[in-house]
Amino acid sequence: MGENSLGAILDARSVRKTYTFGALPVEVLRGADLAVNAGEWVAVLGSSGSGKSTLLHLMGGLDRPDAGDGEIHFRGSPIAATHGKRLDAYRNRDIGFVFQFYHLLPELNVLENAMLPAMIGNWFPNRARRKQAESAATALLESFGLGHRMLHRPAQLSGGERQRVAIARALANAPPVLLADEPTGNLDVKTGAGILDLLAKRHANGLTIVMVTHDPLVAARADRIVKLIDGQVETGCVLP
Amino acid sequence: MYAALLSNRYLTSRLIPFIAIAAVALCVALVVTVVSVMTGFLNMLKDSGRLIVGDVILSTGIGGMPYADEFVADLRGLSGVQGASPLIDTIGLLRMPYPVGNQKEIAHVQVWAVDPVSLATVTDYAEDLYWKPPADAAAKAAMAADDPRLQLDASILQDGARLIHSKTGTPGIALGMHVSVGNARQRDGSYLPRYGWFMPGHDVTLTVVPVSGSGKIAEPREQSFTVVNEVQTGIYEVDKNRVYIPLHEGQRLLRLDEAPLFDLSAEPDALGNYPIIGKTPARVTKILVRAKAGITARELRDRVEAEYFAFGKRMKSDPTRTAKMPEFVSVLTWEQQLRDLITPVEKEREMMRVLFSLIYLVCAGLILSIFWAIVIEKTRDIGILRSVGASRLGVLWIFLRYGLIIGVVGSALGVLLAWGVIRNINAIHEAIGSDAPPAIWIGTFVLAGLSALGLLRAIWVGKLLALLLWTLATGVLALVGTALALHHGTLIWDPSVYYFTIVPDQVDWTTAWSTALGGVLFSVIGAAIPAAKAADIDPVEALRYG
Ligand SMILES: Nc1ncnc2c1ncn2[C@@H]1O[C@H](COP(=O)(O)OP(=O)(O)OP(=O)(O)O)[C@@H](O)[C@H]1O
Ligand SMILES: [Mg+2]
Repeated sequence: MGENSLGAILDARSVRKTYTFGALPVEVLRGADLAVNAGEWVAVLGSSGSGKSTLLHLMGGLDRPDAGDGEIHFRGSPIAATHGKRLDAYRNRDIGFVFQFYHLLPELNVLENAMLPAMIGNWFPNRARRKQAESAATALLESFGLGHRMLHRPAQLSGGERQRVAIARALANAPPVLLADEPTGNLDVKTGAGILDLLAKRHANGLTIVMVTHDPLVAARADRIVKLIDGQVETGCVLP
Repeated sequence: MYAALLSNRYLTSRLIPFIAIAAVALCVALVVTVVSVMTGFLNMLKDSGRLIVGDVILSTGIGGMPYADEFVADLRGLSGVQGASPLIDTIGLLRMPYPVGNQKEIAHVQVWAVDPVSLATVTDYAEDLYWKPPADAAAKAAMAADDPRLQLDASILQDGARLIHSKTGTPGIALGMHVSVGNARQRDGSYLPRYGWFMPGHDVTLTVVPVSGSGKIAEPREQSFTVVNEVQTGIYEVDKNRVYIPLHEGQRLLRLDEAPLFDLSAEPDALGNYPIIGKTPARVTKILVRAKAGITARELRDRVEAEYFAFGKRMKSDPTRTAKMPEFVSVLTWEQQLRDLITPVEKEREMMRVLFSLIYLVCAGLILSIFWAIVIEKTRDIGILRSVGASRLGVLWIFLRYGLIIGVVGSALGVLLAWGVIRNINAIHEAIGSDAPPAIWIGTFVLAGLSALGLLRAIWVGKLLALLLWTLATGVLALVGTALALHHGTLIWDPSVYYFTIVPDQVDWTTAWSTALGGVLFSVIGAAIPAAKAADIDPVEALRYG
């Protein structure tokens, strides 16, 4: 399946990423290929520092691959060609991104954080759209068991609660693809399982998921597991 | 709409925006206050300068000009002329007796021999007469029983306005307010006679030196005058030096009055006298002219000059006019005439402008760096916003709005603060000029004591920050209390240093608006630059921050 990238919704083709410290270049990704089909749940395994987050950031349009080396395609067109408004819209509507370290806005409460993507793109206050975004975010948070936390600030939440808010935010605009960077990394097994159940439910409704993890047990929940080794994606690897 | 939400949150959930607002307000208030006072000072000087010498001044040499009455009448007929007044300007020595002891004070003075009635049409002379009878019974009751002002009646104003002592009929003299040391300025700007040295009613002796047209100095001549009133123009330089006497007395003393004209080319008679061939008319050395509203001093100057040339020609061609018109007269506007007085103040203001531009720049730098620090701290938030799809402009707008609100609120508060200070500047000045009331410094010490208790408590509970703050508070309060207790009033605005007796208390609105605009601009720029910088980098890089 991975060989054939024609039907892929999100497709990273021989992507390279090099960080330079002074004179010393560190090649993190050396031609990584990853094609994700629509409706698929892919887990990316790899040891710490292998470049999993880097790859996910590139796929989410949050960072750029090395110039001239590899491209990331979304629905057949390279996202590198999109910039400015188009790239903003890609991040806003096409992709939902869950960060390894949550990254919630500390000055906004839980509800406002979860509504944020839905509010972006409206320059002028629009009461109807705000109401709509608010009820959608409320429903989502409630289904995540955060109904009673709506008006709290992120600093008042536990790690698992924050992670759930982050997922709710990523799903606010109902994007076709969710990119999740170790969504259970900082949580205990039970909380982590709860979050995976949430993702599984969405996946059953057609959500495409790319999930980074270093935990094989977590990866086992996915349809397909790929491994990031030496800056390259090893496909078709066996379940442990 | 997230932009408004976020900038509001940034404004309200932290202390730092309030510090920024206070910084902007203080910077704006500082600039507005100082520039307003300096500008007000210059305007006051110019305004009162005009009220002291009129709009246009015609001056001759010491020989003076004849036929002045006719020329003044001509001038009054000229369009655009409100009034004209002839006078003689010379220097003299004034001997003043003081009633306590046998002390006599001699002061050198500028003598203006004037026609007081026409002078009042050109300058504020009549309004500037200082002593008036007590306004009502309440004012009388407020004075001490031996206050000489209780004896004043309406004649004090009439005598001053006519320069004649009506009780004795002797010629009157009006002294500038600071010529006699007897007048003690009160904190509210009014005057009280010191030790009962109340000058009106006393006789003084004025000595002047006549100088002939060719510049020869004659024997000094003196005459006794009765002080009829004192004059406060408000400009210290003038009030310190000037005395006013009647024009004809001045002409007589200076030998500028009407006199027989001898033919010096003829043979003297047996007694050594030359034959009389006519009369030389009385002379004056200056003519002050006041413009009607709507005509500038410069225009009037040109008209007066043209009129003088026409008049001079007429006199020359008339064989019955034996006296020669002066070859050279200067016709100046009041601004040109008072150049010596105005220039230093203008220079001072320019210097203050330069200094305050520097302070302005420092303030701008301060505001810029405060915003820089605030926004840099938000770089991670900017990364988050960008990664969920916020545009660069959207992010920029959050911080533009933030800077705009802080700038507008801060500048408005600053202008308000400056307005409050400037309008009350004389009261503040007076408070600084007085000893601190004991209640205030005792109160400060009590507060210092209370704060020392807080300090003890902080030690007891072992809180480092509280300990630090209470120590600071105790120290500052104790210092302020000591400073207040030791403070003895000094008036900063010494009327002998600055020309005026009160501090200008009008806000210069041009400066206020432009400074407030600057405050807003620097706030917005200070917020926008780092925000634009953070919005430009890739979200991941912004997220790594902090
Ligand atoms: N901005 C950067 N500058 C320099 N080096 C970077 C930067 N971002 C990542 N790296 C380096 O790239 C390598 C891969 O980082 P990455 O975060 O992708 O690893 P990871 O697989 O997600 O690790 P982990 O499981 O610990 O999250 C690391 O060695 C890291 O130090
Ligand atoms: Mg990672």
